[in-house]
Amino acid sequence: MTTPPLVEAIDLEKEFPLTRTAGDVLAGRPRRAIRAVDGVSLSILPGETVGLIGESGSGKTTLGWLIARLHDATGGALRFDGADLLALQGPALRRWRRNVQVVFQDPVGSLDPRLRVWQIVGEPIRAQGEHSRRVVRARVRELLPTVGLSPDCVDQYPHEFSGGGRQRLSLARALSVDPRLIVLDEPTSSLDVAVQAQILNRLVELQRERPVAYLLITHNVAAVRFAADRVAVMYLGRLVEVGAVRAVLETPLHPYTKALLAAVPVADARRRRTRFRIGGDVPSLIDPPPGCRFAPRCPFVIDQCRTVYPMLREIPGAPGQLVACHRAEEVRNVRPAELLSTGEAPSATPPAGV
Amino acid sequence: MTEPVVSIEGLSIDYVVGAGRFRAVSDLSLDIAPGQVVGIVGETGCGKSTLAQAIPRLLPEPPATIGGGSIRFQGIDLVKVPQWKMPAIRGTGINMIFQEPLNSLNPAYRIYDQIAEAVRIRQAREAGRPVVDPRTPPPFDYAHGPRPTTGESMLRPVVPVGTEEKVRRRSLRRHPELYEDVLEYLRLVRINDPETILNLYPHELSGGMRQRVMIAMALSERPALLIADEPTSALDVTIQAQVLTLMKELIEEIRTSILFISHDLGVIAETADVLGVMYAGRLVEFGPVAEVFESPRHPYTKALLRAAPTRYKSDGPLTSIPGSVADIAHPPPGCRFHPRCPLAQSVCRSDPAPRLLGAPDREEHRSACHFADEVAKIP
Repeated sequence: MTTPPLVEAIDLEKEFPLTRTAGDVLAGRPRRAIRAVDGVSLSILPGETVGLIGESGSGKTTLGWLIARLHDATGGALRFDGADLLALQGPALRRWRRNVQVVFQDPVGSLDPRLRVWQIVGEPIRAQGEHSRRVVRARVRELLPTVGLSPDCVDQYPHEFSGGGRQRLSLARALSVDPRLIVLDEPTSSLDVAVQAQILNRLVELQRERPVAYLLITHNVAAVRFAADRVAVMYLGRLVEVGAVRAVLETPLHPYTKALLAAVPVADARRRRTRFRIGGDVPSLIDPPPGCRFAPRCPFVIDQCRTVYPMLREIPGAPGQLVACHRAEEVRNVRPAELLSTGEAPSATPPAGV
Repeated sequence: MTEPVVSIEGLSIDYVVGAGRFRAVSDLSLDIAPGQVVGIVGETGCGKSTLAQAIPRLLPEPPATIGGGSIRFQGIDLVKVPQWKMPAIRGTGINMIFQEPLNSLNPAYRIYDQIAEAVRIRQAREAGRPVVDPRTPPPFDYAHGPRPTTGESMLRPVVPVGTEEKVRRRSLRRHPELYEDVLEYLRLVRINDPETILNLYPHELSGGMRQRVMIAMALSERPALLIADEPTSALDVTIQAQVLTLMKELIEEIRTSILFISHDLGVIAETADVLGVMYAGRLVEFGPVAEVFESPRHPYTKALLRAAPTRYKSDGPLTSIPGSVADIAHPPPGCRFHPRCPLAQSVCRSDPAPRLLGAPDREEHRSACHFADEVAKIP
């Protein structure tokens, strides 16, 4: 606990206002907004990997973009190396950007099809003030082997690469300015399992070679298990659980984390008889349910959950693992597998022993 | 031995692009028994979706052409059926569920109309009535008139004035007798409050709901074979688990034959009885799902199972498959997996490719590898 965090988000918020029609104004209807990130506090230490898991619409990409200053926060505070990040503007912000780079989700859309490899990978170098074509090309040639590509492909175009190859290019681009944090937004979700393993291995090796921290945003629990040191679980704009990767994945405390782990299909033919018992859809972010966001789907819900939002807290017996659940102590011993049933009909009653 | 629902023999499918000819599926044989769920896994580009779309002849031909083989379904060879007769087989014979339900539902019709249409077609076919409702105008068809020139089609609407309006207004609300049937199918797929859902448009539903509606539509035609092409890949994990649970329950209730395509070994493990593994257009392993998972007899299956990340960073690197997927435009000779295979010998590099043969003690568990017995012995 002596290392100061590299990035520290405190009650970070991001609202996207919805368009208000003239009719809404005349009728005096209130302004409405999507609260994509709703009071998230998270810190990333130098050189560590934080996995951020959540389903689509949980705000995980928005949080990643906020930390990379690609979105402007509408509330809260964000510190980088102890300095206020939200106050940075203009040239100072541009200089700061060498510290944080992003690998985007879509390996096709994030690479300009009309640029050559050296131009794509070298773009951050040029943005940081190095304009010599010769220097940029030489730097790109050095970089490509670190992501497992041949230095001779500097003059190729992105369409000549496979999905995995494009994601390597994205990674090389992010590494080009020696950042201290790389935000990896679903880096492997469009890849096949064998290619995914290659990329994840490469990410972990790179971290051994250089002091870079990762924020790994994904819905893939397996990728987080392998690559992350700590995990944050996000649901509808809020963090529901934060802790060390083994602790969260082996003894999850929050009912949503348990449900998520139970839902992941496992390559084991014996799972055939099991039934998933969490119903309902992810509610809308426009009018999120009051109280705990997971309450409408939670099998352990009590009245308090529907009115009071539970704060992230530590519970006795699980040091370092934060959970936002009123009943964390009572449900902590429920295993994710208990949210699956082997019976014939799905039942709405919570598992026994709670 | 019961008669299989579908029997595919030596099927090859080519894509002809310019002067090139790409064999997307080569010499594939597969039987699906009544009530059996056959899963197909493979990486991107291995030909699994081509196979799925070739069975109901949904592939655009050209560029696709069926290069050989047969698909026997209910006593007819689908390869020889002319395209215009296929609609009579699709729907009540073979039905499909696609990955992205928003693209498969018509955005302009309410859910009720879409399911009612499926129910009405099934009832009409069962009663031997014509499927097209005599009360509706026939859709505009260039086959029954002179094809407009490019200039004409730019100057006047492609669909003649008048028909367009009638087609749009042709709501199946005029079939109130189907209301109870439609409700029954929505309840079958465990939709709470089906009366409300009926009046919504597809964009108003969530992804999981849309996929349930697609399943309801597919089942309402009581197909002999249901082809599910990545039905849960676009859904979130918890929603995917809900849809898989529903599918597992329906598999037991309805006992229809299903061809289940997925890239996710976990999804297949949960649903399929029999598993086929495809690599670069070939079926490399085929057998009962538990046996394929527990004792794979092809190095590719083994590598695929191992590549799934199930460990922590401190446990060492993940096992990945070296190299990249074989290019179907220039497939390597012999076994297509040999450039990436740790066991490859000279026999693997020469034609002909290994045939899909049963294990000595288990005829049902077949694999296309010269060294299948050695693979099975590797722990």
